[in-house]
Amino acid sequence: MRAKTISNLIRPTLTKGVRLQIDSTTGKSVLLFPEGIVELNETAHEILSRCDGRTFGDIVCELAEEYDTDSNALAADVRDTLSDLQRRKLIEFK
Amino acid sequence: MTVPRPYALLAEITYRCPLHCPYCSNPVAGSLCKAPSRAYPAGYNNGELATHEWKRTIREAAALGVLQIGFSGGEPLARRDLAELIRAAREAKLYTNLITSGIGLDADRVRGLRDAGLDSIQLSFQSDESNLADEIAGARAHERKLDIAAKIREAQIPLSLNFVIHRRNIDRLPKMIALAEALGAKRVELANVQFYGWAFRNRAALLPTREQVGRAYDIATAAKARLAGKIDLFYVLPDYYESRPKPCLNGWGQRYLTVNPIGDVLPCPTASSAIPDLRFENVRTRDLDWIWSESESFNRFRGTEWMPEPCRSCPQKEIDFGGCRCQAALLTGNAGNTDPVCEFSPNRAMVDAVLRNTNSSSDQPCEWAYRSNPKPELTSA
Repeated sequence: MRAKTISNLIRPTLTKGVRLQIDSTTGKSVLLFPEGIVELNETAHEILSRCDGRTFGDIVCELAEEYDTDSNALAADVRDTLSDLQRRKLIEFK
Repeated sequence: MTVPRPYALLAEITYRCPLHCPYCSNPVAGSLCKAPSRAYPAGYNNGELATHEWKRTIREAAALGVLQIGFSGGEPLARRDLAELIRAAREAKLYTNLITSGIGLDADRVRGLRDAGLDSIQLSFQSDESNLADEIAGARAHERKLDIAAKIREAQIPLSLNFVIHRRNIDRLPKMIALAEALGAKRVELANVQFYGWAFRNRAALLPTREQVGRAYDIATAAKARLAGKIDLFYVLPDYYESRPKPCLNGWGQRYLTVNPIGDVLPCPTASSAIPDLRFENVRTRDLDWIWSESESFNRFRGTEWMPEPCRSCPQKEIDFGGCRCQAALLTGNAGNTDPVCEFSPNRAMVDAVLRNTNSSSDQPCEWAYRSNPKPELTSA
């Protein structure tokens, strides 16, 4: 699925077997999966910690409110981050 | 030198295994006994770390920064306390992976491991059908594995498959890929044997020909494209056919550590048998933090200071780290040499000689020796 096709109604969720966790050594958030570890930046953490059944539209609205930014600009960033993680099979779109 | 933090622990909880695969990377029976410091103690089951010792080791690993643990062996299911160890690892917030032949699993035990917190399972196959697969395993295993794969899926534990490829089964690659599809795996490794432990002893019987390797590469590449989005397919070349060495472990003592059944802590699982002059520390006498940071075995090849030429002045030295220390030791007798797979190694001729034998027209596939389990009578005083 290409980035521009992510609709507001899609529900991004962690792929089965992928765990979101805080790395106690660095305090940063990481994704753990069978073959590896991905360290997340703050933006990715904020997005992924909301990937629990909420829709893409809701996630963007919440983040726009919390960071007091324009939701259109933010939507593009969130879309890029999610598409990248989906390509790496760390999240699924439901 | 700043000491990095480790990310993953390979817990080889037992060397016992119901299979006898001739490509096993475990130490060849007897080789453990050459050095007194790593003899397999009398009554070998008792020589294995006890449950409480593994739990302490797991906690120490987590405190050191480890985020993932692979339970391996031997066959880790041979230990009845596996679920308890998985639970301990989850309590320490580790991601838990079981690396198994599947023999010893049934529906109840699968659910038990899942309920203990197991995150994923990697199941190995010897081929696509039972005749050859069972011959390779030296045991009736294939049909049971098929059944176990179904039970794992029913329990909804993420499953990846590992097919170990060598001269005897590499031509069946398309059928192995078809089996992986039929089993509904999301991730499949088609991994050519790497030559350590039993595989090193059986190299002449296991190393595929150049023609086989080339054909398999094309098949795997086509399957990877065809299955994109459905199955993640990985094809691992036998490194003797490469011209640059693999970036073994991402560097010695950088990310990984292994604890073997008797508690020796190894920078690499094959180091205990491949590098006999290195002294390894044991979790029974030292804490993991000290071993990781201070011990001679973890510091000997850490970083780039130890490197000889041609590595020392090589622009690739932070990319492949000079290759594999165990391979250097096994082939050249010195773990401090450049991995002889490297085209710039002064010892590359050793690898080429092996390839020449395998690819000569007079070469016939030969018999292998099956892996045997560690036996009490092999112990030293």
